[in-house]
Amino acid sequence: MLPLILASIAALFLVAPILIVVPMSFSTAISFQFPPPAYWIGYYRKFFTSEEWLEPALNSVIIAGGAMAFTMLLVVPAAFGYVRYRFRGKALVNLLIMSPLIVPHVVSALAYYRFLGRAKLTGTYLGVIVAHGVLAVPVAFLVIAATLKGFDRNLERAAMSSGAGPFRTFWYVTLPVLRPGMLVGALFAFLSSFNEAVVALFIAGRGATTLPKKMYESIRLESDPVIAVVSTLLVGAVVLGVLVPVVMRRRPIDAA
Amino acid sequence: MSVTRRNTAAWLLLGPSTAVLVLLFVVPIGYVLVLSVTDPRLALAHYQRIFTVPLYTRVLVNTFLTSLVVTALCLVLGYPVAYVMARRGGWVGTVLLTIVAMTFWTGFLVRTYAWLVILGSKGPVVSAYQALGLGPAPQLLFTTFSSTLGMTHILLPYMILALYAVMKKIDANHLKAAASLGARPAAAFREVFLPLSLPGVVNGSLLVFVSCLGFFVTPVLLGAPRDMMISQLINQQIEELLAWGFASAVAVVLLAATALVVGVYNRFAGLDRLWG
Repeated sequence: MLPLILASIAALFLVAPILIVVPMSFSTAISFQFPPPAYWIGYYRKFFTSEEWLEPALNSVIIAGGAMAFTMLLVVPAAFGYVRYRFRGKALVNLLIMSPLIVPHVVSALAYYRFLGRAKLTGTYLGVIVAHGVLAVPVAFLVIAATLKGFDRNLERAAMSSGAGPFRTFWYVTLPVLRPGMLVGALFAFLSSFNEAVVALFIAGRGATTLPKKMYESIRLESDPVIAVVSTLLVGAVVLGVLVPVVMRRRPIDAA
Repeated sequence: MSVTRRNTAAWLLLGPSTAVLVLLFVVPIGYVLVLSVTDPRLALAHYQRIFTVPLYTRVLVNTFLTSLVVTALCLVLGYPVAYVMARRGGWVGTVLLTIVAMTFWTGFLVRTYAWLVILGSKGPVVSAYQALGLGPAPQLLFTTFSSTLGMTHILLPYMILALYAVMKKIDANHLKAAASLGARPAAAFREVFLPLSLPGVVNGSLLVFVSCLGFFVTPVLLGAPRDMMISQLINQQIEELLAWGFASAVAVVLLAATALVVGVYNRFAGLDRLWG
């Protein structure tokens, strides 16, 4: 019984603060006041009509999509090469692939600020996409390599011995089996970029401001109540994303 | 012959990504290393300053201590959650896992903003304080307390997931065996479950500690200026002083500290264990 009580307290500590953003988003207060003095939907209207917020939101989607594509382009072949072959320097390659996860983001941010600045790429989509794409490599690699390790190569052998060539085998056997793992890997890459704040703060400038950067600046400089609306929409998206698999009687995403 | 061909295939697959990572990650990071000893001139003076000027040593010590406290808090709060998730199936486990996944995927900024509201001067804690007639509420926001709380909240899901990954593999029969040999539940937990869960404790603590060392957004928004963390120092040196060399040196110290912790872990546990 004691573990359950302790777990409930911790779970409440986790979830309650997040839910507070929902009533805040309907508040009429111009500062961060809770409980709200009265309710309206004015700040939703403001969010959906102000370029100041919609532009970073759109930027975030574009950048996360681009970073996801870039990451997958690197990671899918790399995972095949890494899992299926033995070669010299494998440990080093593993360290290299994992390094963006080990290096603290603020160090990467500083590095990219300088590096991309030299290339005149700070404040551009391309710059942020490249940085976020590289930073998402480890997470996507972990998911896809794990999927590949679990793949039964006898399926491929069966296809080949039934007369399918290597490309047909890959297209009709390997890929369909691996697709769920690849989708999860891609989703992780997308979210890794979408939620990333520190590198974006350093390099996104005015031209490619992402939503986390805008939220950070909004909290720091102006306490704009619209941030409650943005937060509520983001929490809503996460709740949908997590609950849909649960309700559909599938396992929720095991993020570990 | 066949070995060479296989090697060729491996490098064709891995070549592009390794090249990109070297060019677009190792080189930029290496440039920071170079800057730290060459800007404005070739010297180790920045490192000397970091370790001798009290202002900066305080930042290092503070970062280290904060990370320790946050790790301990995450462990204390997270262990029971992971335990219940692993030992109980059914709706309790599902609800907990859903809550953990939900917080895991909610961005740092959203959660930091939530704490700004909760601990703010017009927030629920302060108004509860006043409603109970306890007099003027203490300053909660922009203190060591608020930034520690915020960081703990943000990193707790990582700890829980790391613990859970190990705990769910613990065979329930071990505990049944202990019980059949006369161990009471508390003893069975202490003698059997706890030791078997230790790899999870180590993994989770490493993950949280290392993330905390480089934490930026939350301490800036929730913390007190005097409790500066390493990341804030880096940012301040660039934003306010354009001191690239010094900022780079601080970044290298942070990187070295992180590498040291990860290296020790790798020596004793092997990094493969961390990422399954």
